[in-house]
Amino acid sequence: MTQTTTEIISTKMNPNVIPHLHIWEWHIPLYLFLGGLAGGLLVITAVMIVIKRHFGIGPRDEGEGCPCLAVRVGSALAPILLGIGMLFLFLDLANKFYVWAFYTTIQPTSPMSAGSWILIAFFPMAILQAMLVNKQFLRNMNIGIVNKLIDWTENRLTLVALLNAHIGIGIGIYTGILLSFFYARPLWSSSILGMLFLISGISSAAALMLLFAPNHEKPIYSKIDANALWIEMVVVGLFILGGITGPANTSGAMMHLIAGDYQMAGMSYMLWFWGGFVALGLLIPMFLEFLEAVGVHIRFPLVAPVLVLMGGLLLRFLIVFAGQTYHTFM
Amino acid sequence: MADKKNYGMVIDTRVCVACSACVYACKSENSVPEGYCRDWVVQETNGTFPKLSMENRSERCQHCAKAPCVIYCPTGASHYSEDGTVQINRYRCTGCKACLAACPYDARYVHPKGFADKCSLCKHRLDKGLETACASVCPTTSLNLVDFNDPEEKALKMMNGKEVYRQKKHAGTNPSLYWISARNKPGA
Repeated sequence: MTQTTTEIISTKMNPNVIPHLHIWEWHIPLYLFLGGLAGGLLVITAVMIVIKRHFGIGPRDEGEGCPCLAVRVGSALAPILLGIGMLFLFLDLANKFYVWAFYTTIQPTSPMSAGSWILIAFFPMAILQAMLVNKQFLRNMNIGIVNKLIDWTENRLTLVALLNAHIGIGIGIYTGILLSFFYARPLWSSSILGMLFLISGISSAAALMLLFAPNHEKPIYSKIDANALWIEMVVVGLFILGGITGPANTSGAMMHLIAGDYQMAGMSYMLWFWGGFVALGLLIPMFLEFLEAVGVHIRFPLVAPVLVLMGGLLLRFLIVFAGQTYHTFM
Repeated sequence: MADKKNYGMVIDTRVCVACSACVYACKSENSVPEGYCRDWVVQETNGTFPKLSMENRSERCQHCAKAPCVIYCPTGASHYSEDGTVQINRYRCTGCKACLAACPYDARYVHPKGFADKCSLCKHRLDKGLETACASVCPTTSLNLVDFNDPEEKALKMMNGKEVYRQKKHAGTNPSLYWISARNKPGA
């Protein structure tokens, strides 16, 4: 049978639109990674605070209501990392002088509008938690207004942490929803992307805490990381299955990511996805954490968390780039 | 309101010769920066050799009634105008590029000055009662500005009894551009 052919010649020439969308470069994946990491840190530290104060479970704390070291450092890092992420977000804006326009309106159908407000809401609560868990340190510095703020709120740490657990989950999901509402880009148009970025943010945050936690606190973060990675594997599997079993737009876009020969930094999406993200970023660290949990201590305990962090970053780059290089909704 | 406008276009691809006059009229009317375009010409060939059919058409923003760019815009810069067109307020545009990602027609670009830009259906001309620059120069009357609220139903008269389509209608955007297919040509 002879093939019916279609040939299209177009005079459209807009840069960064033709031959394929190229509007978001490294800023946005980096921002999504840092946002997910900050959300994950807030979730883990908040949950650690709640279960320690409410159920008495968790590593030995520092006394006088100050939690263990990893929670204290993690709480402080969350707003710092999000702040850096928002700087990248700002750098990506093409019309930077009009950034105020985000904050003079609420557009209910725009995830980016919701996100710009959630990002602002994140800071007061996250900073309050960071102050309360580090109150011994701050009291030694003896700053009037900080002392007063701690006096007012120190008995409410559990409540602050409970709220923050929700805000952290909100930020984590938002980093995925930001993309998944674009139905014109078939790879992003997946409802599970929010969950994928949330759980990836939590696994990355657990890996980061594992890096700076003192030795006696490491086992708990290793276990959180192993469990988060396991859930992430399931979600990645569902994301792929949902894609390849979907209609032409969706399956084509998913194949473009998982079997595509389109190059990113000199290597095909397929190799990056399976070799870089799935193998190095998920399977190997999960195996290493599992070995750790059953008592086989490996020589380089930092390998697993570093791989997880790199995998989380790579995932954001792959999704953002492959979503743009595939053609629009047909 | 009886005199409320609802502008769109009926594009008769049967007579389009892909001369690009619309593209250059637009560039000059709207000071489109060099290397960019708000409208463009497409030549689509279909079939199996030697039985081929060809359609020429001039494409632009579809001025959707349910526009993904407006839905996604975080600041309200992209908005529906009262005359049924989709417009951009460049003094509220942050250059976040969400609208570019949202558009299933890839009709937008980022202007070198930083704001998102696209076909405005020559709103500044519509407000004066003129037709769009592209339609005004079209030598074969392929491009027709229509008001879908027009009681004389110029649009309906043109499309009546012909094979008419809208692009990516299944995307649910309810586009305001109607295309009289080249398959209406005798012998096609």
